[in-house]
Amino acid sequence: MKLKQLILPLAAIVGGATLTWSAVAKDFKLLNVSYDPTRELYTEYNAAFAKHWKEKTGDTVHIDQSHGGSGKQARSVIDGLSADVVTLALAYDIDAIAEKARLLPADWQKRLPNNSAPYTSTIVFLVRKGNPKGIKDWNDLVKPGVKIIPANPKTSGAARWTYLAAWGYVLKNGGDNAKAQEFVTKFYKNVPVLDTGARGATTTFIQREIGDVLVGWENEAFLALKEYGPEKFEIIVPSVSILAEPPVTVVDKVAKKKGNEAVAKAYLEFLYSEEGQDIAGRHFYRPRSEKAVAKYAGQFTKVSLFTIDELFGGWQNANKTHFADGGTFDQIQRSSR
Amino acid sequence: MKIHRTIALVAILGLLPVVGGLAAQETNRDIDVNALLQRIEELEQRVKIMDRKRELGDEAAAEKAKVTPTVSIGAGGLQVRSADSNFVFRFRGYVQADGRFYAEDESPNGNRNDTFLLRRVRPIFEGTVYERFDYRLMLDFPSGATASAANDVYVQDAYLNARILPQFQVQVGKFKEPVGLERLQSGANLLFIERAYPTQLVPNRDVGLQVHGDLAGGLLRYEAGVFNGVANGGSGDNEQYDDEKDFAARLFATPFIKSGNDWLRGLGVGVAGTYGHQDGPLRSFVTPGQQTFFSYTTGTGTNANVAADGKIWRVSPQAYYYKGPFGIFAEYALSSQHVQRTAAGTSVSETLRNTGWAVSASWFVTGEDNSFKAVTPGKPFTFGGEGWGALELTARYAQLNADNDTFPLYANPDTAASKASSWGVGANWHLNRNVKLSLDYEQTEFDGGNTDFLKDGEKVILTRAQFSF
Repeated sequence: MKLKQLILPLAAIVGGATLTWSAVAKDFKLLNVSYDPTRELYTEYNAAFAKHWKEKTGDTVHIDQSHGGSGKQARSVIDGLSADVVTLALAYDIDAIAEKARLLPADWQKRLPNNSAPYTSTIVFLVRKGNPKGIKDWNDLVKPGVKIIPANPKTSGAARWTYLAAWGYVLKNGGDNAKAQEFVTKFYKNVPVLDTGARGATTTFIQREIGDVLVGWENEAFLALKEYGPEKFEIIVPSVSILAEPPVTVVDKVAKKKGNEAVAKAYLEFLYSEEGQDIAGRHFYRPRSEKAVAKYAGQFTKVSLFTIDELFGGWQNANKTHFADGGTFDQIQRSSR
Repeated sequence: MKIHRTIALVAILGLLPVVGGLAAQETNRDIDVNALLQRIEELEQRVKIMDRKRELGDEAAAEKAKVTPTVSIGAGGLQVRSADSNFVFRFRGYVQADGRFYAEDESPNGNRNDTFLLRRVRPIFEGTVYERFDYRLMLDFPSGATASAANDVYVQDAYLNARILPQFQVQVGKFKEPVGLERLQSGANLLFIERAYPTQLVPNRDVGLQVHGDLAGGLLRYEAGVFNGVANGGSGDNEQYDDEKDFAARLFATPFIKSGNDWLRGLGVGVAGTYGHQDGPLRSFVTPGQQTFFSYTTGTGTNANVAADGKIWRVSPQAYYYKGPFGIFAEYALSSQHVQRTAAGTSVSETLRNTGWAVSASWFVTGEDNSFKAVTPGKPFTFGGEGWGALELTARYAQLNADNDTFPLYANPDTAASKASSWGVGANWHLNRNVKLSLDYEQTEFDGGNTDFLKDGEKVILTRAQFSF
């Protein structure tokens, strides 16, 4: 047999096998490392995306979830938790992953619309039915005898938003930073227990029946209301609060190493789809798309929202001033002892 | 009727203050109850807060425990272990302070100095990195190993072992070649203070690469490696005398170790061997008292010099048996080495085959289970207490035979014995896992040789105080 006669059939076999192989449906396994109160959101969203991806590509995708305080979750990824995507409570935590572990580019936030935050939320109050302490706004929280349940800003994203919301309330009402620090100091003096994450704070308030008011994520307050009923709790929306933009991104190096780049990117892009936005709204996150905003307009009370850029010059500055070691939060904690 | 009305009015008027007083009392009681309820509620909150804080503290402690390394110290030394057990560091070691006392050595040319010495001073650093990579560094600072007044310093072990599978592990660095059974036993666990003759016919530590593992669920152990090659009884750090490599392998079976048969469970049998090429100096043979009784001829120029010069192979069948407090240990070694004698520019060569064997037995009077490894006393010794530690009695017979063709060209028949036969008895008192006191008496007779020492033989009392941790 001549060489040419041998090569052609061999090439046909190899080529055919390659095509067949590439046509075979693949199985993907993603890990989404997220913050505390997104469990329910991503449980539903993951199922919807897996279905969507199967219909679109024929591939099967299984998504594992990991939840905890946002800062703690970021630390885990830096320490080696192999997240394909992170969906954390604040951009600063993802910046830390980019900076310390170099697993994604520094400009990650520009890669998806709306600063890579497909939904927003804000900080509200959840009080016990009848609002026994008559809490209407931030200044009611610092009154003597009021017990506030937030999470710990050192470990929780929600807690950082809460802290900045309280600070911003003073600034928005004509106060300066000194007044704001005084106010926030009084705020934390009324805190009997600091949980590491938002879900832990909810447990403290609802299940352990500690405190008069839970201060945290709006979606978490709605979820509590949905689960335990309006006969037990009420949501109080303060006069002013902060626009929280929980961001999402692909962890490039991990996703690439696991061969999940394309599916991880699609997973996050699907959050911006009408279906993704609808799921976010259904779980009490404020959606971005006009259609979903209109659909869920009645669900959310209108509130005057300020942004972190507006009052604090962005996350890097806010972190440096308030949450870094020796920052104002540490000073407040010391003075509260 | 009027009277009745009047009486009633008076009665009502009279009762009014009483009723009023009762109502006031009722209001006060309400206030008290409310205050009490509030107080209870506050106390309840305090208790709940304390409970939650404790709960959070426990959670934080559990989280911290996940990443906090554990440090422990005990009879096995100092150990630091990462929370996930993937990284382990151990520091341990042992020191042996010996005494050698020679009896009946007063003849004019045969006097040997009784001496105390530090036989082994070995700090050991070992552990694991990334779960499957074990490392070990063992140094040695003994005195007397080279008859030097000062302490010598050696790197005894320095290796990395990758535990890829229990059945397949790869070890690289400097460590014991897998040949002699007694050589492979730790220097801290020996029955007698000095090893027997077969150990002088097999390699000690060498640099190389070895694959090893346990097969059939631990019933069969194999080791096979390639090494620089060393002279009998010797150690080496690099290849100084030839370009060739030696191959060493060992199979050792403990076929009944998992059986329920008490009589057979402690049986281990094996065979080991080496094959390679060895050039360079040849080592002398020594008695249990560490005195030289056989040396190859050495010299320069017109004086004859004998050195290894070619093929070397060794074979060593070996076995042990342990049953309760009783143990027996047997080993045979045959070494075949091609040697060359050079004098005044001419040379002759020969293949010399030396053999050695030893059988030793031991018995724990105090009833501990005997073992190839360290034995832990049932009741450690305590001053004024009930514990006396473990007492082990030992006996041994060993022989070394030099090849008849060695004489007279390769060794001087006047100064080198052709055969040494030694018997010994001893006692090891294991005060606890860390302290062992040993006392041996060994007597050796020689065939051949014409010196007072070789004619008289050797009678030696050896003592050892060993501290290991």
